[in-house]
Amino acid sequence: MPENAPPQTAEPETSADATTRARAPWTRVLWTCVAAFALWLLLFAPTLQHNAQVSPVGTRRTVALDLLGPIAATSRALQLSRIVSETDALTGRTGNVPGNGAAVTVIGPGHRRATLPRRPTGKGGHTTGPPTTVPDITHPTAADPLRVLIVGDSLGIDMGGPLQNDLANTGVVTATLDARESTGLTRPDYFNWPVELQGDLASARPQVVVIMMGANDPQDFPGPPDIPFTSPAWNVMYAQRVAAFMQLAGSGGATVIWVGMPPMQNPQLSAEMSDVDAVDQQQAALVHPPVNFLSSWTLLGTAQGAYAPFITNSAGEVVNVRTPDGIHLTPAGGEVLSQLVLNFLRGPLHFVLP
Amino acid sequence: MLFPTFDFAIFFAIAFTVNWLLNPYPGPWKLSMIALSYVFYGWVGWSYCLLLVATTAIAFIGGETVNAAVGETRRRLAMGLSCAGLLGLLGWFKYYGFLSVNIDNFTHVLGLGHAVPLLQVALPIAISFYTFMALSYVIDIYRRQLEPARPVDLALYLSFFPHLLAGPIVRGHELLPQLRRKRDPRSVDYARALWLIMAGLFKKVVISSYVSGAIVQPVFTAPAQHSGLESVFAAWGYAVQIYCDFSGYTDIAIGLALLLGIRFPVNFDAPYTARNLQDFWRRWHITLSRWLRDYLYIPLGGSSGSEGRTVRNIMITMVLGGLWHGAAWTFVVWGALHGLGQAVGHVRRRSRVRRGLPAVADGPVRIWVQRFLTFQFVCLGWVFFNASGLSNAFALLGRVFSGWGRPSPLVTPLLVLVVVGTVVSQLVPSARVDRLQAAFSRQKAGVQVGLLSLALLGITTFGPVGVAPFIYYRF
Repeated sequence: MPENAPPQTAEPETSADATTRARAPWTRVLWTCVAAFALWLLLFAPTLQHNAQVSPVGTRRTVALDLLGPIAATSRALQLSRIVSETDALTGRTGNVPGNGAAVTVIGPGHRRATLPRRPTGKGGHTTGPPTTVPDITHPTAADPLRVLIVGDSLGIDMGGPLQNDLANTGVVTATLDARESTGLTRPDYFNWPVELQGDLASARPQVVVIMMGANDPQDFPGPPDIPFTSPAWNVMYAQRVAAFMQLAGSGGATVIWVGMPPMQNPQLSAEMSDVDAVDQQQAALVHPPVNFLSSWTLLGTAQGAYAPFITNSAGEVVNVRTPDGIHLTPAGGEVLSQLVLNFLRGPLHFVLP
Repeated sequence: MLFPTFDFAIFFAIAFTVNWLLNPYPGPWKLSMIALSYVFYGWVGWSYCLLLVATTAIAFIGGETVNAAVGETRRRLAMGLSCAGLLGLLGWFKYYGFLSVNIDNFTHVLGLGHAVPLLQVALPIAISFYTFMALSYVIDIYRRQLEPARPVDLALYLSFFPHLLAGPIVRGHELLPQLRRKRDPRSVDYARALWLIMAGLFKKVVISSYVSGAIVQPVFTAPAQHSGLESVFAAWGYAVQIYCDFSGYTDIAIGLALLLGIRFPVNFDAPYTARNLQDFWRRWHITLSRWLRDYLYIPLGGSSGSEGRTVRNIMITMVLGGLWHGAAWTFVVWGALHGLGQAVGHVRRRSRVRRGLPAVADGPVRIWVQRFLTFQFVCLGWVFFNASGLSNAFALLGRVFSGWGRPSPLVTPLLVLVVVGTVVSQLVPSARVDRLQAAFSRQKAGVQVGLLSLALLGITTFGPVGVAPFIYYRF
């Protein structure tokens, strides 16, 4: 311990320059800051307006758009917004990223060619029906590894991290994780998952795609007119988007595994997750080729399907599987789902993984 | 409420105006600052405010009781009960879940079943920080280093929003006198304040976010997927990330307080230039380091006893310091590593003195080697600090030794530049920064407005949308 540390009383002046620093009355400081903020607002308003547009439908979004609209229009009229847009173009920040900013993206190493099918598929344990997609390879090797793509939202990150690591630990799988916080299929204006997935499929050329997504989807589709969550029209549109996304994931011949949402601590959110799961499960059975839906509902909940922050694992140990927010998964919770997917690959899909 | 948000910008504009308008009226000023601080804290969830009220009440009653108690035994008892109350709150909210799982698993192994009820207790943001401030307040009164404060002063001392969420851990004798006197509204040290705020925002929003997304998260998430070089850069990158995140927060907090006419203690002093671990803890999270020294290490006996007792005291202090950060074995290992490193340094220094050996002459090579080795040891600790579990930490460390000869696409020239540049930037003398602040303060208002807006534009343009919360909010 630094017993001889110098005594600290308050932030010290560090040199003679500190005394030469000019002070100012608070009113001048206030106006300087307000003027700087206003100038920044004028320069940055189009970006702020875009961020407001892609935020959840509600009063806050409406007010923000009303306030920012005239400022952004002025910025564009004066060509001031070009400073930001040109900078974004120069730094390559114009791609498909949430809110047009940086986010969590984990990309795996380089990819290898697919190999021929080796063994037919078997029956699934947690699936809505027997898996029917024939995997391209079931005996991957270090020289010719299985290519797995994992995509999802923040719960997809919670599951995808441990899964990516567990798959990499087999030594015969190259796993790519592309998961984004606060994303889903309801708001492509915020983050366009179909576009992102197309890019992932092209670059990773996966033989297995694992998807865990939906926690952010219980929200209105922005209009006009807005389509409220839980309305019949919402259900139809959401089912269409899920089906299209599933088909896109399997369009290259990959086996698709969709991991359902677990129960949530908040009863309303939990009911919403149940609704989302129902749509996902239904579409998994309807799309062609069918998608393997793995339910996490009772695995990360009680036998009755209620929320459970702690579960007892096969060794009889108590493990904390949920974070205190009652939504996300702890690393141990992610590991539970990782094992669910791994067991499904090894069992019903007959992949031989060390 | 997070500092780098639109909500906070509006909040602070109101707080700044109210602060100076009510400055001539101490009573209304204090009440308004308390109200604003509670709004700031309650922005996430109002229930948290009740805990802050409870902490303030325990500290106030404790301070009054200690001060009124006659005789050393009663004073000590009153102080002990007050500290137990404060630590009880912290323990319940922060450690119950961790302890219950570990106790249950232990009793299960012994065949005693699950002995403790399992409850998931939500950790209120900032509880570790204001609990430590409340503890220091009661103990300082017990030590007769501080007079008990009036309830309104104590409430403001504990809740004052610039330090509330993640420090600095300001002591009573530093802040309470400032809250009692009027500030000079014609002499705001705005150049330093604005510099600190902009530098803090840049570190947090641009550097920390970039390094986190570019290397730290990918490698810590799946170490087995990454090469040895990427693992090394992930550890170095986390050193940069947490420094920019936490010192960035602190810079903003100090700058905001300065705009309100209040001075906070410094919390960071170029920590990666440290030449040994003792030196590191004089430069990293200084207000926590001195808290642990004054309220734990020295009461345990410090270094005044035998070598064995000193080593024990260092280990206890650092392990508990690790646990302060979070209820997980990774933090225990992190604290133990720092304790072990300091204990070895202490024993070596004592050994030299005992054998009558002269101090080793400092040369540039020796200084740089010491700095390099200290930084590597600190990074080793950071691996445990950031890991999701011990197995995750060992997996990453394993890759450092086994993952060579593989491609390292995440180690880009930009990443190397940012990581190395951030560490090297700590060698810039603070006098140069002071000169820049002085030069800024002498500019005309129009120039200042232009520079400030350009700085903001740079930060918001190069930073991500939706900045992640500060790492130390978790503690």
